[in-house]
Parts: sequence; structure tokens; C-alpha cells
Amino acid sequence: MLVLLRISVRQLASRSRLILILLLALLPVGLAALVSATLNEDSTSNGEFISTLLDGLLIAGILPIVTMVLATASFGNELEDRTLSYIVLKPVPRWLIVLPKLLASIIVGGLVLIASGVVATLLGASSLGAVLLVLDGNLQATLAVGLALFAGVVTYAAIFTWAGLVSTRAIAFALVYVFLWEGLISSFLGGVRYLSVRGYTLSILHGLDDKSFGPLGERVIEFPAALVGAAVTTAVFFWLTVRRLRRMDVP
Amino acid sequence: MTQASHSQEATVIAPPIDVRSVSKWFGNVVAVNDVSLQVNPGITGLLGPNGAGKTTLLHMIAGLAKPSEGEVKLLGEPVRDNPQLYHRVGFMSEHESVYGFLTGREFVELAARLYGLEPLSPPVDRAIELVGLTDVQGRTLSTYSRGMRQRMRLAATLVHDLEVLLLDEPLNGTDPRQRIEFQNLMRKLASEGRTILISSHILEEVELLAGSILLMVSGKLAASGDFHAIRAKLDERPYKVRIVSSDSRAMAAALVRLDAVDSVSIDAEGAVEIMTRNVSDLQRSVPRLAQEQHIRLLRVEPLDESLESVFSYLVER
Repeated sequence: MLVLLRISVRQLASRSRLILILLLALLPVGLAALVSATLNEDSTSNGEFISTLLDGLLIAGILPIVTMVLATASFGNELEDRTLSYIVLKPVPRWLIVLPKLLASIIVGGLVLIASGVVATLLGASSLGAVLLVLDGNLQATLAVGLALFAGVVTYAAIFTWAGLVSTRAIAFALVYVFLWEGLISSFLGGVRYLSVRGYTLSILHGLDDKSFGPLGERVIEFPAALVGAAVTTAVFFWLTVRRLRRMDVP
Repeated sequence: MTQASHSQEATVIAPPIDVRSVSKWFGNVVAVNDVSLQVNPGITGLLGPNGAGKTTLLHMIAGLAKPSEGEVKLLGEPVRDNPQLYHRVGFMSEHESVYGFLTGREFVELAARLYGLEPLSPPVDRAIELVGLTDVQGRTLSTYSRGMRQRMRLAATLVHDLEVLLLDEPLNGTDPRQRIEFQNLMRKLASEGRTILISSHILEEVELLAGSILLMVSGKLAASGDFHAIRAKLDERPYKVRIVSSDSRAMAAALVRLDAVDSVSIDAEGAVEIMTRNVSDLQRSVPRLAQEQHIRLLRVEPLDESLESVFSYLVER
């Protein structure tokens, strides 16, 4: 499996893709740095700013877009250039092909996104800067951001990896899904949050540190439900991807 | 049933490649139509013009594509959803794309690792040496010529000890010297008892290599068996050819005197239609006759749709 993971990471980490991802990941960091330089020491307004930044920009926008760009390409590129046969015509169980593909998206996207979220949180939380925040005992907030983003990346990666194998227009599907379902519908219909990766990510974030991310309280579901939802969604789409790989015609 | 008949039944060996009533369609397009065939050890050529369905058939034999109907067995086992079978089977597709960021050696090593070979170096060294690319194995595949890429892909296919080898247009992009080396290599592998199925749309490629052929035309298996017998049959087959010229009646009168022509008629549009069993003679005679009679040839075309490809194929030789 390691050899497939290595090759998948190399495939995904192309220069143009990395530049796009890094630029997107730098957006919240830049905004946080800008705002932290101008905000006062009012912790309430700082907390609101971080919550808005994390939810509105990172979790609702950058997280799904970055994961989409990577995960739809993990099989999509190989289908397009017809190199997938080099892998599927080997004595390797199909789940051992899907797993490294999924992990590659998680590694490449997750590292960048978690770093972006954690640094933005550190910068935005205190005008005195990151080191002081951590020393001040607010490590819990950064851990919460890191773990919630990790859960979001894993869940989105599972969905988009499947999409990349099912359709040659996976990006279009993913964009509609992200903006219509995750962005629009889940914002207005509370019940949809139980079926929304954005809902799971926010709820895990809030559940791990409700003190720092209090303003998110209105938009979350129960913490255990979010954990189970993310795990079940990941498992179901992983299974669907393996099933698809077993049944499809490989060009 | 006696013990002896039990034992006799057990020793019956299934053909390494067994295709039964296989069809494949994509929407309304039938790519392969009710094909049944068995391939035994040795080299077999899968021959046919472009678009005949060879690649689709090979993909179904390799397990890449699921037949719409029928079944494929390799080495006595169903090929679909049976990854462990690939320990004994190798396939090289006609698509030349590779992981351009890998070196040639890394590409062969990737295959070796996925086959679970241990230790890695001896089989990788041997496979790369077999295709004569030891000197350039450290270069990335994106810098290789088409022929070199093709050979390194072959090395990756041959890195493990296989029993069945499926090759789709393997000689694309190779030069004459590489073709001879390839033919020698295939003969060596076949002499060791392997079953090799090579597809090609070029008669000469298969002629020098395969003792038996499978001829596909328009998705159907048109013929199978000994190469020379099939070729003779093809040459004897009557073909309907339509000739449009500046003077159809004079052309018809001239054509009817040819031994190669079985019958001549003039169709509703005034073109000459002839039946022939000797395409190559006809091919030589028609331009000469037209020149002698001062007739201008406007078009010469085969009429029988199902034979059009075969006709063109033979005429182009």
C-alpha cells in the first residue's frame, strides 16, 4: 500500500495544484493577520471574528474546494490519462487501491488546511500573537480546529474520491454539491446539518471547545451525532468507491 | 462414476484463455458481437482493422471491461473481480500514457512491488535488460521516445513470472530492429509454455510471429485457426466492388474479360459493380484497363459493408 500512497501523493502534489491550494490556504491566514493587527483586546469580538472566519471562509469554502480539487483528481486523472490499468491489473485487493488514494488527498490537503486553520486561529485569537495564546492555555482551541478540519477533510475526501471515479464531470458535481447542499440548503434548513459535512465539522469544532467557539452554537448539531455522521459518511463513500472500482470498466 | 473417470475429468485442462459467447455494447453501438474463442499456449495473433473490436475484446479478456453478455475465463478462473489471478497474467494496453514523473526503473519497480515480488532488484534488472533499456533506466519516462516508453511498459508487464500475456498493439512506435528483438523475445516466452495473445491491425506484424490467428471484423470473429489457411480463405472470398468512371459501359466491357472478375453489372446510378475473388489482381488490372481504354477512374470502393474493412485491409497490403 505504501508504494501506491507514494505515487498518489506525487500525482496529486503537482506544482500548479500546490500553488492553488497554498494560495487558498493563505487567505484565512492573511485575513486573520490583518484583523488581529487592527482589532482591540476585546475577546468577545475576537471570538466572533474567528468563528466567522472559520465557518464562513475556511469550513464552508476553502475546505471543500481544496479537498474537491485533490480528491476528484486522485482517480479522475488516472481515468483521464488511462493509467489506472497499471494499478487495477495487479493482484491487489480493490480496497487497498482506494485507501492510499484517499489517504493521499487527506495528507496533501489536510496538512495545508489544518496548518491554515490553526495559524489563522492563533493569529485571530490574540492581537499579541500565537506564542502568547498557546502559553496562555488556549491550546484547546487550536487542537479543536485541527481535529475538526481533519474530520472535514477525511469526510469530504471520501465523497469526492468516489465522485472522481463515478463521473468524468466530478468537479461540476462537487461544486454543485458544495455550494447548493453544504452552502445554501444546510444554512437554511436545520435538519440538513445532520447530513452535511460542514455541519459535522462545525459541530466537532464546537463540541471540542464550546468556550472559544461559542458563536457557532446556533449552527451545530450534537457532538456525538457529528462524530458518528462523519464516520458513517466516510465509511459509506469508501465502500461505494471500492464497489465502483470492482464493477466499472477501466479504460 | 468410476475413480478412473474422475481422475480423467480432473486432468482435462481448460484452455488458458476461454471466451464464451461474449458481447459488448456501448449504448446502441455493438463493439463485440457474440464472440467465442479459446487460446492455447503459444503465440496467437488477434488480427483485424482498426475499430474491429480487438481492444474491447482484449479488455474483456484482461478483466478491465465487463462483458454485456457471455463469460471470460483465464486459466480456468473467472477474470472479473478476481485480482489474485493477475499473479499469473500480464497485460499491456495500447494506450501509451505512463506516469511521466517516474523514472523507467521506478515504473518497473512499481509493477514489481504491486506483484509482491521480493527481493525486488533481480526481477526488475532482468526485465529492464530484456527490453534493452538498462542504460536509460534512471531517466524519467517523460523524456523517453515513444518506442522507449513502449519497451519500458513491456518490461513492467514482464517483470513477474506470468502464464498468460495479453498485448494490445505492442509494436506501435517501435523501429524495425526493436520489432525483431520483440519477435525473438515473444518466441522465447512462448517456447517456455506461455500463452501469448497479440493484437495488431498490421498483417506483417502477426505473420512473422503467430502460428494461429483470430480475425475480427466489425465486432465479430470472422475466422480463426492457422494463419496461412485463413489468409488463403480471405484471398478466395468473393468481393463486391463498385467502380465509378467516365464511361461505365466501356469499363464494364473491358472488365468482363479479366480472369479476376466473376461477374459485371451496371447499377441504377450507372456505376459498374463487379464480383471478384482475386482482389490483388483486380487492384493491378483496373488502372491499367482504364488507361488503355482512355477512361477516367473516379472512384473504386468495396460494397459489402461487413467486408469493407477486410477488403481495404487486404488491398492496402
